Order: sequence, then C-alpha cells, then structure tokens
Amino acid sequence: MAALLRSARLLKISPASLLQITGANIHGSAVARLCGGAIGGRVAGIRATQVTHSFGVNRVSWPYAGVRHFAVAPKQQGVSKDEGSSAVRARQAQQFDWALGKLDSSVRRTGRITKTLLLRIFHDICRSGYPSGNQALLLLRSCGSLLPEMPLSERNELAHRIWDKLQELGASYDASHYNALLKVYLQNEFKFSPTEFLAKMEAANVQPNRVTYQRLIAAYCQEGDIEGASKILGFMKSKDLPITEAVFNSLVTGHARAGDMESAENILPVMRGAGIEPGPDTYLALLTAYAEKGDMEKIRQILEALDKGDATLMDRDFMQLVFSLARAGHHQHVPEVVERLRHDRGFIPDAMNLCLSLITQGQEDTAFAVLKTFPTLQAEAQNGDSPELGNFFLRHCVNMDKSVEKLQTYCKELQDSGLHSSALQFTLYCTLEAKKTGMAVHLMKVMKEQGLPIRPHYFWPLLTQHQRDKNTQATVEVLKGMQDLEVLPDVETYSSYVLPTFDSLETARAALKEAGFSVDTEGFSASEVRAEAVNLPKLLVLLSSPSCPAVDLSLFRGSLTLGFKKSSDVECMTKITELLYQDPRFSQTSGGPAEAVSYFLYNLIDSMTEEELLAQEEKLRQYFHQLKNTNVRIPVNIYRGIRNLLESCHVPELIKDVVILVDGKEAIDTLDIPRGKEGRGVGLEKRLEELKAENKPLGATLKQLILSLCAEEKLDRALELKAQHEEDMAVGGYAALINLCCRHDNVEEALNLKREVQRKDSSVALDAGKYLALVKVLSKHGKVDEAVDILKEMKQKDVAVRDATVALIFHVLNMAGLRGDAATVRRLQETIFSLGLAKPTANLCSPLITAYLESGDLTGALDAVLECHKQYNQMPRIHDVLCGLVEKGETELLQKAMDYVSQERGEMTMLYDLFFAFMQTGKHREARKIIETPGLRARPGRLQWFAEKCISNNQMEALEGMVEMTAKLFECDRDEMYHYILRLCKDTNDWRKADATWTKMQEENVIPRERTLLLLADIFKSNGQEVPFEVPEVWYEGSTEAPQQDSKSKSTFSAPSPAPTPLSPSDYQLRLFTLCKRGKVQEALKLLKEVDQKGMVLGPAPYDSLIRSLLAKGSIEDAMAVRDIATTRIGSFQLSEVANSLLVISQVKCGKVKEAQATLTSMLQADQVPSQLAVTRLVQGLGTRGEARAVQEVESTIKAMASSLNLSRMLFINNTALAHIKRGDIEAAVEGLEAFYTPGSEAQGADAPVASMSYVFRRVMEENNEDALDKLSGMAERLANHFAVYRPASDLFLQYLESGRAEDAKFLLQRCAAISEQKDVLLSYVTRAAQKPGQVHKIKTMMELIPDFTEKEVMYPYLIKSYSQDNDLPSAKALYQKMQEEGVAADELCLKRLATLYRNGGEAVPFEEPPESFKFYADKLREKTKAQSLVEDD
Amino acid sequence: MAASSRKVFEVFVSKIPWTIASREVKEYFSQFGQVKKCLLPFDKETGFHRGFCWVGYATEEGVQNALQKEAHLLEGSRLQVQKNRKPGGTQRQNRDSDGS
Repeated sequence: MAALLRSARLLKISPASLLQITGANIHGSAVARLCGGAIGGRVAGIRATQVTHSFGVNRVSWPYAGVRHFAVAPKQQGVSKDEGSSAVRARQAQQFDWALGKLDSSVRRTGRITKTLLLRIFHDICRSGYPSGNQALLLLRSCGSLLPEMPLSERNELAHRIWDKLQELGASYDASHYNALLKVYLQNEFKFSPTEFLAKMEAANVQPNRVTYQRLIAAYCQEGDIEGASKILGFMKSKDLPITEAVFNSLVTGHARAGDMESAENILPVMRGAGIEPGPDTYLALLTAYAEKGDMEKIRQILEALDKGDATLMDRDFMQLVFSLARAGHHQHVPEVVERLRHDRGFIPDAMNLCLSLITQGQEDTAFAVLKTFPTLQAEAQNGDSPELGNFFLRHCVNMDKSVEKLQTYCKELQDSGLHSSALQFTLYCTLEAKKTGMAVHLMKVMKEQGLPIRPHYFWPLLTQHQRDKNTQATVEVLKGMQDLEVLPDVETYSSYVLPTFDSLETARAALKEAGFSVDTEGFSASEVRAEAVNLPKLLVLLSSPSCPAVDLSLFRGSLTLGFKKSSDVECMTKITELLYQDPRFSQTSGGPAEAVSYFLYNLIDSMTEEELLAQEEKLRQYFHQLKNTNVRIPVNIYRGIRNLLESCHVPELIKDVVILVDGKEAIDTLDIPRGKEGRGVGLEKRLEELKAENKPLGATLKQLILSLCAEEKLDRALELKAQHEEDMAVGGYAALINLCCRHDNVEEALNLKREVQRKDSSVALDAGKYLALVKVLSKHGKVDEAVDILKEMKQKDVAVRDATVALIFHVLNMAGLRGDAATVRRLQETIFSLGLAKPTANLCSPLITAYLESGDLTGALDAVLECHKQYNQMPRIHDVLCGLVEKGETELLQKAMDYVSQERGEMTMLYDLFFAFMQTGKHREARKIIETPGLRARPGRLQWFAEKCISNNQMEALEGMVEMTAKLFECDRDEMYHYILRLCKDTNDWRKADATWTKMQEENVIPRERTLLLLADIFKSNGQEVPFEVPEVWYEGSTEAPQQDSKSKSTFSAPSPAPTPLSPSDYQLRLFTLCKRGKVQEALKLLKEVDQKGMVLGPAPYDSLIRSLLAKGSIEDAMAVRDIATTRIGSFQLSEVANSLLVISQVKCGKVKEAQATLTSMLQADQVPSQLAVTRLVQGLGTRGEARAVQEVESTIKAMASSLNLSRMLFINNTALAHIKRGDIEAAVEGLEAFYTPGSEAQGADAPVASMSYVFRRVMEENNEDALDKLSGMAERLANHFAVYRPASDLFLQYLESGRAEDAKFLLQRCAAISEQKDVLLSYVTRAAQKPGQVHKIKTMMELIPDFTEKEVMYPYLIKSYSQDNDLPSAKALYQKMQEEGVAADELCLKRLATLYRNGGEAVPFEEPPESFKFYADKLREKTKAQSLVEDD
Repeated sequence: MAASSRKVFEVFVSKIPWTIASREVKEYFSQFGQVKKCLLPFDKETGFHRGFCWVGYATEEGVQNALQKEAHLLEGSRLQVQKNRKPGGTQRQNRDSDGS
C-alpha cells in the first residue's frame, strides 16, 4: 500500500507544489511576527526544537533547502548558518548530494527514514573514507524521530556509534554537530547531564551558541528540572541572548513535568509580557501536559478556546496528543481526539509514523484504532487491484514481535472489513522476510486451519539464512515445521535449500533419518541425483541401481549438463547417456527417451561457450563416436539444431561427428553438410556442369549457386542462369533474385520474377524482408496498388513479422515521406495497420507527418497528427509541427494544437511542448512565460530530451536559455542542467563559456556533483587554463613533468622540515595529506615508510590519499607498495573508488589492459563506481589492442551505470569497431557500425544519427590503415546514399580535412554531395578550428570545397578570429578588404579583433576601434542575433 | 546468434504473488495450451521469487490463447501477461537451472 499512498500523495501535491512552499514561508514569517523584532528571522527553524515533538518532522528544515528549492532560500538563510549548511565543496559534494537526495526523498515521501537506508548511507560514507562535516551532520540529524520504527534507546546508540566512527575517520565537529546531537537526545528522551555535555564541548574547544542553550533548557525541562533550566536561562540572559518562544514552550513542559500545572499555565501571560504571543506550539505543550495527566476536560477547554481564537492546530499536533494520551495510559480518550483529525494534505504519512511510533512503544492497539480511521483510497478500488490497507502496520508488528494471536485478530478485522484481501499471507511474508521461524510456523498453522494452502516454497526464505550460516540443526527444525504442517519437501527444497547446508550427501541423509524423516520420497531422491550429477561415476551407480526411484531427466538435466562439461570420463558419459536412453524411469514425459536424450545433447552443446567448445572438441568427438556404438540415435530436426549451434560457434568439424548419430541419414541433403567459405561460386559452377553431364538433379546446387552469385551482387549472371535452368529453379533462388532486383531498383524484373514464382507454386511465401523490398521499390515507382497487393499477400500468407521487419516497414514509409508523398504514405500506412502487419507506434506513424512537413503543409501536418492520435493514440513529431507553427506565426492552428494536447495528454505535457517549440524557434520571451506557469514542476526526462537535442545540434543559445529559465522551476536538478551546458562547452571546446557557467553556478548556489567538476576541469585543462577550484580527483599528470616538480619541492620543502619532537599518528596523517595535496609525492612516500618502520598505524584515509597521489604521477609500483603496507596494517583496507579508478587509468597507460579490466571488475564487485575517465581509458585501451570481446564485456558489466557515468554508447561502439580492425576483421567492424547507424532499427537506438564516429576514422588514419579506411568509407557512403544517414560521411569528411587530406575530402564530397548540407556539423567544426591557432588552412580548405555551406556573414568572422589566433595581420587585412569589396559588414567584434592585430603588428588602426571590451561586443552580438531572430519571428 | 533461429512461444508473466510457485503457474496456464516450460526464478539469497515468470508453450496458439484472455486472476491476484519481448529471455544464464 505504501506505494499507492505515495502516488496518491504526489498527485495531491502536484498542482499546488509551489503553494506548499509559499505556505512554509508564510508560516515562518507569521512566527517571526508574533515573536517580535528582537528575534527576527532566526526563529523560522525553531519549531523543530520543540521538546515534546517526538515524531513530528519539520519538512523544510533540511540543510540544502536553500540549494534545491530556490523559493525557500530567502527565509532560510538566517537559520542555515547555525544549522551548519555552509556550502559543501569539491570532493564530498557528489556523495553528499547523493546521500542527501536519498534521505531527503525518503523524508519527503514518507516523513521517515528506515534503519536500513540510514545504515547503508553510513556505511557508504565510511567506505569512501572522507566524511565531510555536512555528511556527519546529515547522519546525526537522522537518528532521532525520523526513525519511528526503532526503539528510542537503539536510536541513541546509533547516534553515538555514528558520532564516534566519523570522528575516528577524521570528521571535525563544530557547534552545529553538537546541537544536532542535542536534538537527537531530546527526541530520543535520552537522559544525560547537560553540564557534562557543556564540559565536553569546552574540551573540544567548541563554543556553544544560542541553539545549544535552548536545547539544554529543553533537556532540563523534559526531566521537570526547572532549577537546571533556570540556571541556563540566567546564563543566556547574562550573555544577552534572545529568549525565543521555544524556550517558553520548554518551560511550560518543565513546570508541568515538575507537577506544577499552575506555573505551567502562568508561562503564557509571562510570554505576553515579554512581547511574545503564545503560538500553536505553546498550546500544544500545554495540551500535552494535560494529556499526560489524562485531564480531558481541560483539553476540551483549551481546544474550544483555540477554535475561537486564531491559533489553529494541525493534524500533526492532534497526533502528538494521541501519542501522549496513549503513552500515559489514557487510551479511552484517544477516539475523541482522533475525531478531531481533519485529514489534511500529508495526513497519511504522518499518521503512518504515528502508528509506527505507537507500535514501537508497545501501544499497538491504539495504533490499530488510528489505522482504522485512515481514509480508504479510491485509487485502489479503481485500478481493480485488491485492497491492501495496513501492510506497514502488519510488517512493523511482526518486526516488533507482537504475538501471533494479536496479529490474527488484526488480520481478521482488516479482512472482514474489506480493507485487506490477504492480510494473513502478507503477515506471513513479513515474518519470513524477518526469518522468524517460530512465528512463521505458528502463522502457517493458523492459515491452514482457515483452509489456506501451505506450499513448500514458503519455507525457503527461512532455509536460506540457515544455509548461509551452515546451521544444520536449524535446517532440521524448519523441516520439522514442514512435517508438522504436512507439507512434503520437494526436489527444489532439498537441492537448493537443504542439501547445500550439509557437508555431504551422506551426512544429510543420516541427519534427516535420525530426525525421523523419510528419505525415500521422490523429492529427496531427485535432489540426490541432482547433487551427484557432477560426479558421473557415482551418478552412474546411483542411476543404475534398481532401487533408484523414477526421476524424470528434466529434474536434473541442468546439473547433468554441468557434470558432463566438467567430466573427462567419456566412457562414463556414454554409459549414462545410454542408460537414460533405455530406462523409462528417467523419461516420463510425452516425447519418450529418444527425444529427451536428444534434447539433452542439444542442451549440452547449447550450454557451452565458444571457448569451452573449442577446448572440449576432442572429448566431445570421442563421446559422439562411443555413442555411435550404442543404440542412441537422434532425430534430424534436433541434429539441425545442434549443427546450427556448432556452426555459429565456429566448430564445424564436430558436425561430422554428430551426423553419424542421426536417425535416418537419407533425410539429410547436401545443405546439411558443413559448408566451406571460399571459392564457392567457381566450385559450384563446376559442380553444376558435372551434374548436368551426369544428368542428375540440379536443384540444390543451382540454388546454392544463385545464392552465392546474389551475395556477390552478380545480377546479370544470376538471371542468365535462371533463364537456362528455369525448370530446376527453387523458391529460395527466386527470393534471392527478387531481392537483388529490388536493390538494383529494377522494378519490372522484380515483378516478373515474383509472378513467375507465383505461377510455379501459388502457396509459396517469401520472407518479410523480400516482400518489403518489393513494396519499397514499387511505391518508389508509383505502383502503389501493386505495393498494397504485396502487403495483402503478406497477410494472407501469414508472413512472420519480427522487430527487424518493423524497422523495414518504417523505412519503406519514411522513404515515401521524405519524398513528400503523403498520399502514398497514408495508403501504405492504413493498409499495414488495418492488416495488422505492424502496430501503429509513434515511429511508424511519423512518416505521414514527415510527408506534410517536407512539402511545407503545416495544416496538413497538424491534422495528420491529430488523426494519428484519434486513430492510434500516437502524436508523432508533434514538436516539429509545433515549431513550424510557431515559426510561421499560425496562432490559430497553434491554439488548436495546444487545446488538443492539453485535453488528451494533460496540461503539463502541453506546456512543455509549447515551451520547447518556443525555445527551438528562439522565442525565449514566450518560452519564459510558459515555464514560469505556477504549479509547473520539473520533468527531468523532457528537459533532458531538449538538452540532448541542443547538445547534438550545437545550439548553445537555446540550451543556455533553457537552463536559465528553469532556475526557479520546482524540483529542477540544477547541477544536471549546468552539466548539459558544460557538455556542449566541451564539445565546442569553449573554455570561456565554461568559465562563465562556473561563475553562474556559484551565483545560483548550486552544489556541483563530482562529474560536473571533472568535466569543467577537463575543459580548462585541455585549453591550457588554470583550474579555479580544487579538482575532486587527482588527475593523471604526465610523468615528464613530475620529476621536475619533485626536485623543486625537495629544495623548498624538505630543508626546514626535520621535526625534533616525536609526532603522533594524527600529526603524521596531517603532514601526509599536506604533502600529497602539494604534489610532493616522493616525500610523502618516504614519510610513510618512516612511519611504518616505527610501527605506527594510520587510518585508511592517508594511505588511500598517498596511493592516489602516486598513481597520479604514474608510479604504479610505489602505489601498490603502499597498498601492501596498508593491508598489512589494516586488514580490511581496500582502495577507494577514486584510487581504483586511477589504478585502472594507470594500468591502461602502462599497457596492462587485462589487469586494468580485472581492477574494474573487482571494483564493480565491491560495489564501487568507477570514474568516467577510467572506463573510457580502459575501453580505448582494449580497442587499441584488438580486444573486441573485452570491450563488450566491459559494456555489459557497466551497462547499469553507464548513463549515470555519462558514458556515451559510442565509446563502446567505436572501440569495438577499432578492436575488430586491429585484429584485421574489418568486416566485423563495418557490420557493427552499420547496424548501429542504420535507422529505424529500434535496438540500435535513437542516438544513431547524431553520434559521432570521428574517433574511429581518426585512429584508422593515424595508423595508415587504408584498407580499413576504404571499407569504412564505403560504409559511410552506403549509409548516406541509402539511408540518408550523413553523420559517418560528415565525420569522415571532416577527419580528412583535419588530417590534411583535402583531395580525399574532395572525392568523398563528390560521391556524397549531401555532406555539404550538414551545416551544423560543418559549422561546429569551423567554430572549433577557429579557437586554436594554426588551423586557418583547414577553414580555408573547407570553404574551397564547400563554398556556400553557410553565409559569408557567418564565415568571415570565424576566419578573422582564426587569423587573430595566428596573429596573421596581412591575411586579415586582405580578408577585411575583400569583405568591404563584397559589401559584407564587419561587426564590432571583428573590428575589435582586427584592431588588436594592427596594434600587435605595430601598425596604426585605419578605422575607429570600438571602445569597449571583447566581452562587451561578444555579448552585444549575442543579444543582437537573439533580438533579430525575435523580430523575424514576430 | 544461435538463439535467433530457434522458435520460442513464450509469454512473460509478472505481478505473481509470493504465495504462488511454478507448479501453480504451470497449472493455471495449461488451460490455454500445452505448457512446455515454466521458468519462475527464485532469488537464492532471499528465498522468494522475483514476481515474474516465463511460460513457454508448445505452439504459438497457446501464446495467443493466453494473451487473449482479458484478466488473469490467480488466487485473488491479477497477473500481468505480456508477449515476451525478448525472445530467449531465458538464455544462457538461466539455462543451467533444472526443472524447466
């Protein structure tokens, strides 16, 4: 139910999410107003310090509230300082963000944190080795009332554990931490001495602050110690600290607990006297005091007064009252208070937490009473699922070991009142999960009495634990439980959950017998057979014994396969196979022994990998030959399956050895024998002649020959052959011919062949690919009727349509769409959908829209979209249509479109659609209005979609615009947004923009994740700029620089350093850190060795830090030496993620790719996340060494985290290709790349058209591998000409330019003219080239080759920029003159550049130099282009 | 690509309540055609199954029959039955298990 509650809650919040925050603000300011000016804005967070609030959570007081929820920031600032939310920086940022995100989302969804989650985060933070102050704070704060499921004392123990452990790991504590600890003490009602606490703070040299004193007062008051509280109060007064409402509230509680209700009541007038109006919390303190006394009359009076006045209590306050009443034993009054609950927004999570707290503290009956008042959820009734109210309640009761009788009553009541359909089953589930054997068996008895089934697998969760502990006693206990319940353990129970617990089968058998179980059951015997299957001789004995019961092969086939793979005892294998073949005991299913055994052989081969097959080839050969001597025979169809397996694993030699086992060999024709690869065509022609001469049937050979000719694209020869041997032609031959004709665009011949084959045999069906090739060529030549007929034939003949076929269908439609031929698309589309050949997906519907868009008919396009939606519930290319409408200013149509989207897909979707359309068309003002719509929240998926679009099309302006406009968007992940911009900066290598972005991030208070910082640092470094912050990861520095630095450091640092006094470990630790940080690694290493010789042990952090520094300098050996030292000193020492990532990089750099891969694997096993750089380097290293398979291995292991690491799929695709090339298998490389780029194939993904393979081209050119380049070039051309995928061709073209092969570029351009239309890619190349000196010739070559790919107004400024990079005044002058002649106006930025050139060249500037800075004009230019596009649009 | 040539007639069943084991699933789905295999993976760590299962029929007809039924109710729970998207979803890693 929890999930449902969650979604229901989210729905409630969604429209008003902004309101919620506004509410928080109002609340804060109201309190401030009440408390008067003296206290000011600092009071906002104080409500959370309330003593009696032992389960309430202040939802807005999370430390980062000012970061993520921008809207809250202004009010929170005052509080955040003393609550310790100073900006978190650098290395801990990412992890902090992550941990915070986790805890925060838990609190936001449920108002609580589970113990498991908290412990996991604690563990993770410890693992990383560097707890930051903020992380410590975060963990400590979570140990109080956020854990309603934990008993108070346990919570406090946990807090202390965390406190000590983090301190040990080097976290330093300030006042915020002590205050957090105090709060936890209060929430956990922990008894401690405030004076001692203060002494401890003093000893640690931490100054207490106002919050500390307030909480100490609260602590005294909790104990009813007014005297103690007064002491502190006096102290506060003497220090002139303001006394807030919270202090008075504590005093109310204090007096009440001291038994003096009169004084408690008297606090209120005192407050008023001091200018503070009592607030809801004051009244709550008073109410709680009366609740503890059970004085309902007083409570009623106060509530009545409150109803009249203006202070109102919230549900949460009433729940506090319920809690206090129950704990004080006044259950009878609970219903009266429960009645007052209003079920406000957020009621359910709060009420759940109330129930949990009550159960934890032994008040489960009260909790159940509250549970029953939960509003029933309509959502559950609607979606038809059975009701499940109270799962959380039952689970917690189980965890708290409430009695089965009680549980039974609760379950019955839930079930009878229709609140829960399977309460008992769920309770049992929880019990099993918690491994409570006794309770589980007891519950099952209850269930059995009620007639519910009890099944063997119910006991498995109990057995798993005992299996892990090797606890045979407990295992037997569980089995006894099964026996009591008359549940017979089946083979799975024994094999998987019982036998592994015992040392051997014999001990198991003995133990079970001794405990009085029967071991002759089928379940046990089968499991015995299965266990022995890995030991073939023993198995043979067992199986051939007459006492062996009937056990079907299927029950142990898997284990037997395993046994056969491991064994080398061919004789035994043969005997077992024979036994299985003959003895009916082992094949009780329908097919009989022959089939069962044959399938077993198939499974055996199938379960082996290519390597295993190769390694065991000889063994298998012997095995098959020995089998031949028995009467074991296999049917032809299974032989074919085996043959295919062997062929695909490249062990065709073995086929000959299997074929001898085939039953009825005459059924095997020539095709079934293994085929050789080379010289087939020639050989076959010869063979055909021979056969003809001998007057033997030609059929099979003719077909093979035709197929091989078709594969070689020799259409004419194939047609000739067909004409010669028309009567011997088989269907397969025709099919290949038809396909070839279609590819050669020979529509008449294709139709002829089709008719011919039809005449021969009208029932014959081609495969889907051939049919669709026909449809494509027919529709291309305007023969739509014939095309439709072909589609109908496909349906009639029931041609199987697979995923690949769907891709082909898309292709056929899209070709017509791109021609702008809407009528044809519509006709084909309707036929395809109405025949049911393919489902109407968005992709398949899109060609119709494409057709209208291509012909510029927006009205038609929109109508087509709406029609698609009505018919097929799809809205294909809606974004493109909207952009078109916006661009053309078609307001009415736009309105129509938006109304429709809003009605069908919801307002939010509509708003995003419109927003993106405005952004895309440069109408930022309009876009801003849309995104600022109140109530709109971030949809990360959609924002990402647009960002990726901008990145791939190099649209910085649109991207920046979006990032800026979403600054205040609710729940928008700001780091993510800035990361997009930086990615584009990286692509265009624009470090200035990156720098500006970095500044903006600071301005907006965004805490960057580690990967963002790394990216930023990378951009700076690759442009030779200094990195303006501490880089989170130590970077790999070229070993050439290192020694220099080192020698310098020695002279400057080591001289004054001899330390006369003995140093403590922590001093050494500090020095090590400092040395590492300053890059003085050798010195640090020396120091560590000294320390080690003294036998001193440091914490894990300094070792790790040194290892990372060493790796950064490339000293793997030294690093490993340090690791060894660390492991001997600290047994559990393990490299941190960062260190391991660096190790991977270093290993790759030294050429040890296999080791690097092993390191990566071990990282993943240890649950560590490798850095992006590490994975990239490793994959590149593997690619360079031709390890295609390893590349794929890495891809598959890393798959789950690839997107979070921001790894592009291209990394793997490109390097797989390079690996194939390295090994000389260019075909495989081409095949892989081509499959990826071929559009429409859904498996290959939507990113294909934009993903760059420049890397492959570059590497191939660098290695002068002309052969590979040829083939890749051919592929690029094919993709461009057949599929209109231009990216590879463009990449190749630019790579030619890049490596100075202008001629090749020119020829490529001639063959693929469309490259010149790839304006974005080309322009982005120019942009990049203009940023580095010495690149001008590339730009020029490009302009010569494609003179008009963009306007001169765009090109010339880049050229000027490039000249100015080279400081080439003469060329710049010449260009400027040319510009003036051609009437191209130079903008101010250009003039500024020119002027600088003149001045650098010592010449006078012949025009008036623009007075402002470069930046000024750059900005101005940007503004101008922006404004221009707006004017044009309006 | 050894798997691509094999014909599999599988449906993918999810939202299976924990109380049901493969015997019950097989029994239930047999009403639509001969069930050749039924793979309900259990998590050996927890001892519970993962809530989903592949049911393999002898013929395409079985698949179609199973898919055509609107609601699949088993012991009060509504099962979700889909066409198996990834043919051979029961490939190598699962092949070694017994009892299929």
